[in-house]
Amino acid sequence: MSRTVELNTVTKVEGHARLLLNIGANNEIRKCELESVEGSRYFEGMLKGRQYFEASEISSRICGICSCAHVAASIKAIEKALDVKVTPQTKVLRELFTVGERIRSHVTHMYFLSLPDYLGAESGLDLAKTHRKEVLQALKQIKLGNDIIVAFAGRDLHPVSATIGGFLHYPKQEQVSLVLARLKECLPDAVAGVKLFASLPYKDYPRKTQFCSLIEDGRYPLMEGDLYCSTGERFSEEKFDEFFKEYHESHSTANFVVKDGKSYMVGALARMNNNHQNLLPLAKKLVKESNIKFPNDNPFLIPFAQAVEVVHFMESSIQLLEGLQVKEEVPVKAQVKAGKGTGIIEVPRGLLVHEYEIDDKGLITKANIVTPTAQNLRLMEDSIRDYIPSVLKLNNDKLTIEIEKLIRSFDPCFSCSTHFLEVKFEGVRNARASDSKKDN
Amino acid sequence: MTKKLKVGFYGITGCAGCLLSVIFNENEILGVADKIDIVSFPFIKERQTDEPLDVIFLEGVVANNHDLETLKKLRAQTKVLVAMGACATTGGTPALRNFQDPHNFETLQYHKAIGIADIPPQPVDKFVHVDYYIEGCPPDKKEILGVINDFVLGKEPFMYSKPVCVECRKNKNPCLLEMGQPCLGPVTRGGCNAVCTNNGLVCWGCRGPASETDVTFKEMVSLLKVKGFDEKFTRDRLNTFAGWEHKEMEETGKNEPHS
Repeated sequence: MSRTVELNTVTKVEGHARLLLNIGANNEIRKCELESVEGSRYFEGMLKGRQYFEASEISSRICGICSCAHVAASIKAIEKALDVKVTPQTKVLRELFTVGERIRSHVTHMYFLSLPDYLGAESGLDLAKTHRKEVLQALKQIKLGNDIIVAFAGRDLHPVSATIGGFLHYPKQEQVSLVLARLKECLPDAVAGVKLFASLPYKDYPRKTQFCSLIEDGRYPLMEGDLYCSTGERFSEEKFDEFFKEYHESHSTANFVVKDGKSYMVGALARMNNNHQNLLPLAKKLVKESNIKFPNDNPFLIPFAQAVEVVHFMESSIQLLEGLQVKEEVPVKAQVKAGKGTGIIEVPRGLLVHEYEIDDKGLITKANIVTPTAQNLRLMEDSIRDYIPSVLKLNNDKLTIEIEKLIRSFDPCFSCSTHFLEVKFEGVRNARASDSKKDN
Repeated sequence: MTKKLKVGFYGITGCAGCLLSVIFNENEILGVADKIDIVSFPFIKERQTDEPLDVIFLEGVVANNHDLETLKKLRAQTKVLVAMGACATTGGTPALRNFQDPHNFETLQYHKAIGIADIPPQPVDKFVHVDYYIEGCPPDKKEILGVINDFVLGKEPFMYSKPVCVECRKNKNPCLLEMGQPCLGPVTRGGCNAVCTNNGLVCWGCRGPASETDVTFKEMVSLLKVKGFDEKFTRDRLNTFAGWEHKEMEETGKNEPHS
């Protein structure tokens, strides 16, 4: 007899998604569809015809949890289009608010969305009754992340002071010192996080895939660098379109992205796999002390990779802040001209791409935004499909719970994934997309 | 001891920023969870309830039939519905596309999940009765706490009605409008402590129109024309967060948000 599993709301993920499975009498998987049911918001269409300096404010609204990331990527792309070169201080301050967001996003996922799965709790609030210390440590780190963003970008959600060419507002020196002190105070909590997440009973589910991230020589990447794939390819960010293809699946309102016709992974585990040698000393030591090795193919270990990144980025922020004297700089003025710019940065869930074309009046004529979850979606489906045989013995309810845990490990953001691809009706991109589907 | 309020936090199409704003009350959230009974919160809870609720805080905009079904179900389930954040209260950024050149969207073709169809994005009160509004993109997280506390105490939540300029001046910020920047402070509902202008960014109008202001929408357009911003620019700005409200107020000539 065949069985059908319909999970109408995947809980404890950002945004709205459902899962449809159909498993045949001989245990063949007839259907495995992870559907985003988020309404389509057409951000790329809304950006058309707007002034170049409006892009970051509007595209920030794509996502609450990674609004800083959208602002930073959007600004980077526009600055490239207009050849704006920013000061070293601007780069440092941008890194800091991006790291603040990284900390709060990872910690929210680790403790509130993922950890309850491993400690037998229904939610993070439920967890607070049995593991209050851990929940308080998590809230403290989330607050740290938010405080960093407030100090360097003005507001924790949908930041306000970052702009093209620099910043509209600067933190006072007391604020800078306070953030540094708070980072030092929270570092032990982050270390405890790595130890906790190293000790969880993860499913052993190695699954080979392509891991894609930015790469920088001698440095764990954040906002600069080349694109890198674990197959060994390295290329500049302008070539994103040549290596990655977007297409739609008829069953989802989100986009799918493939590399060489195959799914690939972005995010904390992909970054760790490609860059673990460049972790800062404490993070590196903690990995060594754990019995988890990188590179690693197990997607259940994404929360562990996030825990390590939290320590790494706290270390990197402490380095940036030691001795930092913030000067009030006037943002570098952009000279309006026609151009095209691609900005790719590493955000909590992986590579985020913003691309804009601007005309000689400064109006945006084309916008393309590729989010991490759009890139991971195809891989998530493939991973679920391959995972099902190991949980087939379970009844539908339990099987659903196990698959939901796998989905949650990926830290998907379905708000973000719901974005539109500009379909070229000549069929160039479409044809490639359908080709790539056949390949699989 | 009186019975704890049964409260749900839900989202329809949106960015989850408002739901995060609830959680990002890092020092207070566990205390809140003691004061009220958070029985539904799909973003962070595995199990939700279908039982009747006292209050639902709802984030998001109605952008497809799935949203609308969810909204109607939630409305029927709760005594009090609070629209939380710009998407829910005014349509927010997703509703901007109703007021833009349709050509912008022609090439954005999409297949929907089976049974899912777009609805022009609209605030929730276009479809169901809303009891209270928490404005803003994002809403002020302390304001959300304040409303929860009011419900616990049985108090009526307060809604700020003066324009952003009032708080901005109180904070002694230089006037960005006077400096020639396209600030929407004069027509926008405050209560945000002017967080954007405090940080040097013009007001984009995320909290929707202020009811207690002397400056009309049309006057705002002409004011910015003098500063060198054409009508399309200003209308685009006004529509970025509150297009439906501005349209209705322009049509009726009445400054009555959420009427």
